[in-house]
Amino acid sequence: MRPFHPQFILEVLPQLVLYLPVTAAIVVGTVFFGSLFGILLAAGRIRRGRAGRILANLYIYVIRCVPSIVLLFLVYYGLPELLNTFGVNINDAGKGFFVITTFSLLFAASMAEVFRSAYEAVDKGQREAAVSVGMTEFQAFYRIILPQCIRVAIPNFTNALVNLMKEGSLAYTIGLIDIMGKGQLIIGQNHGSYSLEVYLALFVLYWVLTILIEKGAGLSEQRLAPDRNRRGGLSKCS
Amino acid sequence: MQLNTQFMWETFLDVLQGIPVTLKIVVVTLLVSSPLGFLMAVSKSGEGRIGRRIIVAYVSVIRGTPVVLQILFLYSLLPTVLNYLIKEVLGSSYNIFNLDPIFYAYVVFILNTTAVLSEVFRSALSTVNRGQMEAALSIGMSRPQAYVRIIMPQALVAALPNICNTTVNLLKSTSLAFMMTVKDITAIAKIDASFGYNYLEAYLVIFVVYIFLCSAVQGVFHLTEQGVAVYKKPVVS
Amino acid sequence: MLKVKEVQKAFGDNQVLRGVDIEVAKGDIVVILGPSGSGKTTFLRCLNFLERADGGTMDFDGIHTELKSASKAVVSRVRKKTAFVFQNYNLFQNKTALQNVTEGLIVARKVPKAEALARAKAALDKVGLSDRYDYYPSQLSGGQQQRVGIARAIAVDPDVLLFDEPTSALDPELIGEVLAVMKKLAKEGATMIIVTHEMTFAQEVASKVIFMDGGVIVEQGSAKQIFTTPKEERTIQFLRRVLKDFDYVI
Repeated sequence: MRPFHPQFILEVLPQLVLYLPVTAAIVVGTVFFGSLFGILLAAGRIRRGRAGRILANLYIYVIRCVPSIVLLFLVYYGLPELLNTFGVNINDAGKGFFVITTFSLLFAASMAEVFRSAYEAVDKGQREAAVSVGMTEFQAFYRIILPQCIRVAIPNFTNALVNLMKEGSLAYTIGLIDIMGKGQLIIGQNHGSYSLEVYLALFVLYWVLTILIEKGAGLSEQRLAPDRNRRGGLSKCS
Repeated sequence: MQLNTQFMWETFLDVLQGIPVTLKIVVVTLLVSSPLGFLMAVSKSGEGRIGRRIIVAYVSVIRGTPVVLQILFLYSLLPTVLNYLIKEVLGSSYNIFNLDPIFYAYVVFILNTTAVLSEVFRSALSTVNRGQMEAALSIGMSRPQAYVRIIMPQALVAALPNICNTTVNLLKSTSLAFMMTVKDITAIAKIDASFGYNYLEAYLVIFVVYIFLCSAVQGVFHLTEQGVAVYKKPVVS
Repeated sequence: MLKVKEVQKAFGDNQVLRGVDIEVAKGDIVVILGPSGSGKTTFLRCLNFLERADGGTMDFDGIHTELKSASKAVVSRVRKKTAFVFQNYNLFQNKTALQNVTEGLIVARKVPKAEALARAKAALDKVGLSDRYDYYPSQLSGGQQQRVGIARAIAVDPDVLLFDEPTSALDPELIGEVLAVMKKLAKEGATMIIVTHEMTFAQEVASKVIFMDGGVIVEQGSAKQIFTTPKEERTIQFLRRVLKDFDYVI
């Protein structure tokens, strides 16, 4: 069998950690743009307008069915050509641009569900009760509705965030150098001989990141909901 | 922007041949992972301490790491390990590198989906009222009988929406099987595209094919749900 | 026929049963009364091994066993000689009314299917649900569900029927139909142990009333004895409270 060098895992970890900021930047950028788009989608579904609802539902349905890697390649190969027909040249855009665009498109669909279920989970009577004790509409929203929405949203948001981070590892397939990309580089530099060690190091990194995200979410959930400790699930199939 | 429609049609016909491969991975994975995941869900709520710790750790690692990483890792690990086992331990002359790579796809996706389904079943089991088990025991059923006849059917119905989600995700994940040289939908599209740099067209084609497959999966689950959840419908009189 | 002695049970630090004895002869209607938290439901559940008692013995129709260490085989035998009616019915949600009743016959007792069907229908007819065979629990009212629960219990022809507050979860207007079925069973000579808060019902049907408080039996005797000439102070206080409440409602 091929030799296995456990100490190489420790050697390679610091090199990979150097690229954590890239992974983090992709996640943060995607969360920002994806959430903005997600709010629009959620509004489309909640509002009365029929066209908006149909469009938003269709978008979410399609996105749910498409593998991340297929969308990534579509954006990477298709977006420059599409924009070119409108006279916009993005051939020089960085890889990060395509990655964030792709994952924002995906993340927005998850966020639309997160926003909608959070909005619908809060009883309408809460606003009425808040207004009835003399709060303004803004106070009612800010002090009563919003905290409850956030609490409902946290478990689903956490799920979406962890998924985003995991799916984001596909960015290396178009040549982005995040922790995954760096790992592939290291394997290449050693002509494939340390692949197992590098992959194990990556396992450790991603696993720790997931646990950190989930712990963080758990803590903020507790602070927002001292009265409960139950987690809600969200199922999308019907 | 111009699309080569002739190429797209030809690619579409090629890709159709990949659908059975994709579906085979999905079906085999579900058939193996469902019972395994269910067993894990039951034993997780059971007593064995060490067993439970191992299961919790396994589920946590699988769910906390990217599928692509699991694929790359197992695909660089399994062939050499199997080769060693076959040559050195079994003394056989079988060449493991002749093995159909779909086998590795099965292993990866079964490992992954089992972890996901164990969580799905765990939460489904927790929705079945504790009284159902008590009532079954009180009329003289054994625990296994109660599980098979009373608890499992109800848990399955509760789990169906999440099993559907899992299946859709599994279907999407199989698009990464090309990394193990499996000739699935995505692999065929990639190969076709690489001849004349028609990537955009090729991916547009499989974009549509995946939407179609995904709709089919959801349709099947929708029908199943209607069929099995008879007892949840209000009375028609 | 059924004799249990010195039943002990604790949940963590909370000693719920502190040595409870009971003796039931064939045809007895034993009603257990007591304030909530007195251990009566736990006691009943121990008899069917839904809770495992920490101590105590059981003699039941030739079976002698320690409650704590009863083997699977013994538990199974006891369960086949008893039947339990739950406070919240616990009907199998995925089975029709008829299937709820046949399940215990076909699966647990290996009764041939045709015979099981006949017995199940007879049981459902007896509780007045001959027109609800194929309804699922979610399609039945609470009172109907509980009557299916009773049918499920009597169909297996148990030596003793155990009722755990069978009417507590019901809306007031549905209680009557369930109590009527239970009275009918009592008249036909069934042996029953009933935990309940229905005082009028207890006075009417009980051949023996047990008053429990704080995990022990405070007093027991005939219905007449307990309701008209209770001896213990705690019994008197309890009856005064519940019967006054009862008067108050009227």
